[in-house]
This record gives sequence, C-alpha cells and structure tokens, in this order.
Amino acid sequence: MGLKRDVSLSTGLRYRGPAGYLTFILHRIGGLGMGIFITLHILASFVGGRFGGAINGIYENWAFQIFIFFCVMFHAINGLRITILDLFPKLLDYQTEAIWIEWAVFIPLYGISVFVILQTALGG
Amino acid sequence: MEVTVKIFRYNPEKDKRGNYVTYKVDADENDRVLDVLEYIKGKMDGALSFRRSCAHGVCGSDAMRINGRNMLACKVLVRDVGTNITVEPILGLPIKKDLIVDMEPFFDNYKKVLPYFINDSALPENGRERLQSPEERARFDETTKCILCAACTTSCPSFWANGEYYGPAAIVNAHRFIFDSRDEAADQRLQILAETDGIARCHTAYNCTVACPREIKVTKAIGEVKMAMMTGKLD
Ligand code: HEM
Ligand code: SF4
Ligand code: FES
Repeated sequence: MGLKRDVSLSTGLRYRGPAGYLTFILHRIGGLGMGIFITLHILASFVGGRFGGAINGIYENWAFQIFIFFCVMFHAINGLRITILDLFPKLLDYQTEAIWIEWAVFIPLYGISVFVILQTALGG
Repeated sequence: MEVTVKIFRYNPEKDKRGNYVTYKVDADENDRVLDVLEYIKGKMDGALSFRRSCAHGVCGSDAMRINGRNMLACKVLVRDVGTNITVEPILGLPIKKDLIVDMEPFFDNYKKVLPYFINDSALPENGRERLQSPEERARFDETTKCILCAACTTSCPSFWANGEYYGPAAIVNAHRFIFDSRDEAADQRLQILAETDGIARCHTAYNCTVACPREIKVTKAIGEVKMAMMTGKLD
C-alpha cells in the first residue's frame, strides 16, 4: 500500500529552487533547442527543394533567431561557469555570486545580439 | 494571527491518489511550522500523519516540502513562510501516508557508500587511538554534521528522474570518510561512486545546498569528491 515514487515534470519544475536551479533548467532547454535546430538544419540541407526551403524559413525567422541565440549563448556561458566551478571546487563557496556574474555577462551580450537581430529584421 | 495551512493528505486504506485539505489555525508568528502541524493533529484532525521526534533539528525525521521547498518543519517559523502555508511530502520517495514517505530507498542508497569507519591496519605501537591533527579533523568537519533527513536528496532533479542515483546525502556521507585521514577505504568508496548511478548524476542544480538544514555546502562536498575521483588526490 502507498503511492509509488512519481515526480512529474511539472511538479519538478514547480520546486522552489535557488538561482542555480533556474540555470540548470535553462541549460537543458538551451541544449535541447540547439539539438533541434541542428537537426532541422541538417534535414533542410539534406532534403532541399520546397520542403527544405520551408524549414529554412522557420529558422531564418527573426523570432526563431532570438530563441536560438538565447539557447546558444546561455548554454555556452552557463557551460563555462559549470566547467570553472567543476575544476575549482573551492569556488563553490561562491556559487551564488558566480551565477550573478554569469547573468551580468549574459544579459548585455544577449541584449546586443537581440538588438542587432531586430535591427536587421525590422530595419531592413 | 490566522494561518491557512494546506496539507497533502493520502490515506492508503481509502484513497487512490492524494488530495489537499485546508485548515485555518490561530498561530503565533514565532510558532514553528511543526507546532502548527501538532496543533492540527491534536485539536482538529487526529488522523493527520507526519514524522517528528526531537522537534529541535537534530533527528532529521521531519523533512517536508513547505511552500514548495524542502525544510525541517521544526526549524522553520511561521513568520519565515507567511500566513499561507502549503505542506507536502518530500519528492521522489514512495508515499506511505500523508506526509510520511518510505525512507528505505534513501537508506539503501546511503548504505552503498560504506558510510562507516574502515581501517584494518594495526593500532599505533602504544595500542591507543589513531591520532589526527586539528587540521586533518577540520578537513571533513562539515560533512560530519549530516542528520540524514533526506532534504537534499529529495530536492535533487537527478534523483527525481532516477531513484537509483545514490543522491547528495550518500555522497556527503562518503565525503565524511573519504577525507578522514584515519580511514583507509577512500579508494573503495571512490570506485563505488564512479558507478553509472553514482556521482556522475550530479549536474549541480544546487537545490541540495539550499535545502540542507545543517547548512552543509552539499554541492561543494560533491565537487570535492568529484575532484578526488579525477586526480586521485585527497587534499
Ligand atoms: C559552446 C559550447 C558548449 C559548451 C561550453 C557546453 C557545455 C556543456 C556542459 C558543461 C554540460 C554539462 C552540464 C551539466 O553537467 O549540468 C553540457 C550539457 C549538454 N549540452 Fe552542451 N555545451 C556546448 C555546446 C552544446 C551544443 C552545440 C549542444 C547541442 C547540440 C549541446 C547540448 C547539450 C545537452 C543536450 C546537454 C545535456 C544536458 C543534460 O545533462 O541534461 N551543448 N553542455
Ligand atoms: S546533507 Fe543536509 S540535507 Fe542532506 S541528509 Fe544530511 S543534513 Fe539532510
Ligand atoms: S523533529 Fe527532529 S529534526 Fe525536526
């Protein structure tokens, strides 16, 4: 008798974790996003023609570019933060500060990227 | 002040699934959440089930999810969590009744890392204790403080996804002996932790560190064990 262990994705996502939990979730979204993008890209080049063109249209769209840029840039910067803390466990005393620094690097870089994407897309 | 407490309830004799019951309780802001639960059990609903023993943050029996985060009910005050309190069982272990989970899988994982002192070599010549300098003792002081409450392991997304993962608490207790200069089984423990469901499942989400009621820097302890595994050095 009893309820089996069962943690659904939505229950897990609703856990009130610290800043590191958010970066953990975004890292996985970023990795998945890049994976999907690369798959589409290879598929589009492979099949070509009208179907390939249609897929190309998806990721040449500026909204998709803003999303995929988030994935790449966040995953790369967060991955770098993880790697540094992995290599120097002493720095784990400052894990929260490390994540602040990460955001301080990410937000301006990503902001500029979004600005450039939008300017190109809307300004022509 | 009036406090609204929403509690996860599950009666294995009647219910197919859990549900939530809300109670309105008059409480003081300096009451602990455990006091509120005791009040509900004592005066309003005697069937409410939860574990507690010491009521002073020592025994580790009352870890639960309070407003969505793992805590010991006896270590958190009403004023720290507000007047709307949701209390749920910790995640990733089978639920036996209400807030009581089956801790066996947790202790099974704990036992895997040989969480006891191992030294088969002869005693020092005078036949007395194996000495250790204060610095050597300090090396693993933090991880001696673990009370096995499971707040860390059941806050870990890797453990939610895979109950075979030994979990942060097991690694904390491995750390306690791996870095003890008197112990001789560090290599054995590192080998056990190198298994598929061992330390590689840690992806540093930090939920464990925040959940630990003993303020053990759990992710750091895990990081040190990862490093020892990579370099083979115990410093
Ligand atoms: C800029 C270069 C990259 C860096 C620095 C980087 C860094 C990392 C790191 C450190 C992890 C381990 C995270 C952890 O243990 O929690 C990871 C996981 C991962 N990365 Fe990357 N990565 C990069 C590029 C990519 C690319 C191009 C893809 C997609 C094709 C990708 C997909 C993933 C996925 C799916 C995971 C697994 C996450 C999980 O464990 O659930 N990464 N990355
Ligand atoms: S490390 Fe902290 S949270 Fe984990 S079992 Fe020990 S006392 Fe509880
Ligand atoms: S009842 Fe013992 S730790 Fe809370």
